[in-house]
Order: sequence, then structure tokens, then C-alpha cells
Amino acid sequence: MYNVYWILRSVTPAQKASAVLNRSGMQHRLLRAPRILAPEGCAYALTLRERDLERARRLLEREATPAEAVYLRLGDGTFQRVGP
Amino acid sequence: MIYLDNAATTLQKPPEVAAAMLNALKTCANPGRGGHAAARRAGEAVYQTRALAARFFDMEPEQVCFTSNATEGLNIALRTLLRPGSRVVISGLEHNAVTRTLAGLGAVTVPVTAPLFDAQGWLSAFEAALNPRPDAVVCLHVSNVYGCVLPVEQIGALCAKRELPFVVDASQSAGLLPVLPKAWGAAFVAMPGHKGLLGPQGTGLLLCRAQTEPLCFGGTGSHSAQAEMPTELPDRLEAGTLNVPGIAGLGAGISYLLRQSPALLRRRETQLLQNAVHGLQQLGIPVFSGAAQAGVVSFRMPGMDCEEAADAFARRGIALRAGLHCAPLAHRTGGTFPEGTVRMSLSALSRAADVEQFLHSAREIQAARRRAAP
Repeated sequence: MYNVYWILRSVTPAQKASAVLNRSGMQHRLLRAPRILAPEGCAYALTLRERDLERARRLLEREATPAEAVYLRLGDGTFQRVGP
Repeated sequence: MIYLDNAATTLQKPPEVAAAMLNALKTCANPGRGGHAAARRAGEAVYQTRALAARFFDMEPEQVCFTSNATEGLNIALRTLLRPGSRVVISGLEHNAVTRTLAGLGAVTVPVTAPLFDAQGWLSAFEAALNPRPDAVVCLHVSNVYGCVLPVEQIGALCAKRELPFVVDASQSAGLLPVLPKAWGAAFVAMPGHKGLLGPQGTGLLLCRAQTEPLCFGGTGSHSAQAEMPTELPDRLEAGTLNVPGIAGLGAGISYLLRQSPALLRRRETQLLQNAVHGLQQLGIPVFSGAAQAGVVSFRMPGMDCEEAADAFARRGIALRAGLHCAPLAHRTGGTFPEGTVRMSLSALSRAADVEQFLHSAREIQAARRRAAP
């Protein structure tokens, strides 16, 4: 289950980050961020598995654009901010 | 038709350019404006071209901004860097895309001149013009009138040493010669997508290595709740819906170039250019040529107005361009103002047979003129 939301402010850094994850073979999805996670409006989210979070963090901070914020989607559907 | 007006735009494109455009037209919606499949496909098409261009020019994808042509890119760069009264050193070969923009800004321009094909002369002239210190330096890579190649890497080094912003117009060189903003220390490099990069008209790139001010304001699909434009590139410069089919076509053009050997393409183009120059010289036609020349040859048919000469070529199925080529400053520098010149220009897809046919027509036109002379 993709319950980590790696938030990026616009589509180009999100696509660049997605390309980094693709090259490392990490499964993920690129989608528009839920409105509640984008207070400035129209952000993007890479969603991935919680177990991949630390590896994704290392890869993305080294090679791509760091996240605006990272959230964990909890079992009740709410979000908990876990970074950066 | 033999098409040798590639400095205006390339007409022959690899077939995949039109195919990519048609595919984008049929399948792509608005990039960055929705999460559905058609919007995602558009986003992927745009990013693919951005990433290809980044690879081609050794940049990061976010430093590659889409414009509608080189002129728009130059307007963004110059309006970012300069204010009324700013002092700007420019080559004496600049296009109206630079000179009119600077005039519109109320900048004080200092045109630098040197013998057309004397790279060392250009470098010395630029160095001399940097005292007193200007606010920026603007230089084209290859003249759209004469094809002379300016030593932009060395001029960039002069600017870097003095921490001066350096802007390069790569309109005639992108896709033909190495264009390396980082190695040149350029703040901005502007280029069309529809010439040497083999994309469609209505596309261009601005490669950015400095902060920018937008020329156009509006929606970007990001930071929508903010009143101001985003600060990050490329969004800061890409307000409004992008030309997705054009950008997809441009990506196909760049992809084609990435699959070729740059050295081989350059050798072919140089050979064709030399064939044209030598052929015209053998006919006794005055030609502007020199060691550092790429893609463009200007000449004057003796005893003929340049527009009438180009028309005589056109009636024989040869597409050339005559006149001032939107670069009156260059013609003044080269001593061809106000008469102008006739220009033939090559692309990666030009053939030896095209140049032979062009020379054959030149011979015919000259013979006809001699017959008609009193």
C-alpha cells in the first residue's frame, strides 16, 4: 500500500523525482497532491510504500528536489507529517 | 523545391517530429492541470522533451524553459537583467531580437565590431569594451547573416572573470555546434526549437543559469493560492497552457539529433558549406566566408538587387532568403547595409545534391544576367 506522500510544489520537480525512483526500480505513483496537503494550491505527490521511505529520502535528497513535506497516511485516512 | 533557407526555419524534419505532434494532439490534454490520464500523458510528453533538452545541453531539466521562439527567450533574459539606462556590450552582429529589445528597454548599447571571421579580433574587441564595466554582455554564437562563429566560450570567460551576466543567442548554432551554457558561464542561452533542433515553428528554449523575471503572468498548475508567480523554474517562466504538440515535436527533433554522431553531422555540414563557397567563388560571385563559419553563406550576385536575385533562384525552385535578415546592425558591421545579401543556409538534412542544384542555378542566373546586360 502506497501510504507515504512525498509532496513537491510543481510538476517538473515531481517528474524529475519520479525519474530518479524509476531508475532505482522503486515502485511509486505520481499524482496531484490531495488538496489538504497543498495549502498553496496545486502540488504533486509521489506516493510510495512506507518501507521504501528512507531509501527514497536518500535518493531524492541526493539526486533530485527535496520534498516540501512528507506525510504518512494513517489507517483512519488522516495524514501525519513525518518530514522533512 | 530545394530548400536552403534553414537559418529562417528548417522545413525538412525527421518524420517522427510530425508523428509526435499528431500523437500529442490526439492524446494529450493540459500538462500539470489535472490528475487524469490525458493530463498525465501531456505532462510526460513535456517532461520527456525537457529531459532530452537537458541532456543535449548539459543542464538540469528545471533549467530548461519552453518559449515560443528565441526572441521570447531573449526578451525574458534581457528584461530580467537590464533596466532603462543599463549599459550593454553586444556584438555588432546581433539580430533585431536583441537590438529592438534593448531599444525597447531604453538600454545603452555598445556594439563591438571586428573583421567578420576573425575570432581573435572579436575576442579582443569584447575585452576592450568591458571597460567601463557594463551591466551585461550579449553575443550570438553564429551570425544569421554571415555564418561567422563567435568565440563565445572565451567571451564567457572574460565575463566570468568580471562576474558579468552573459547572454548567448544560439539561434543559428543549436543543433549544429555544441551549445554548452555551463562551459560558457552563460546566465542565459536562448534558441528556437524550429531551426537546427528540427522541431516545429512556435517552439523555443531558454536555458537558465540565473534568477529570472517572468515576461508573462498567469496560471502554472502550481502554487495556485498565491497571488505571485512561483519563484521556481520552469514554472516562473511558463504561465498559461504550453504548446504540447509543438513541444512533443521538438522532443522528437532533439531525440533524432541525439541518435546521430555530432562529429559526422558537423563534417557533412562543413563539407556542404565549403562546396557552396567554392562553387560560388568559381563563378566569380562575391561570397562572405572564413575559417570559423557554420551553416550560413551570404553572397551578392554581381549587378543584381539581392531580392531580385533570390526571386530568380525561387523561380528555379531554390528557396533562399535575401535582404537584411532582421539584422541591420550585422549588415552595417559587414559593410552590406543597406543593399543586403542573398543567404543560403543548411541543416542536418541538407544534401550534396541540393548544393549542386543551387550552384547550377547560380550559374544559369549569372549567364542570363550577362546575356541581358547592354
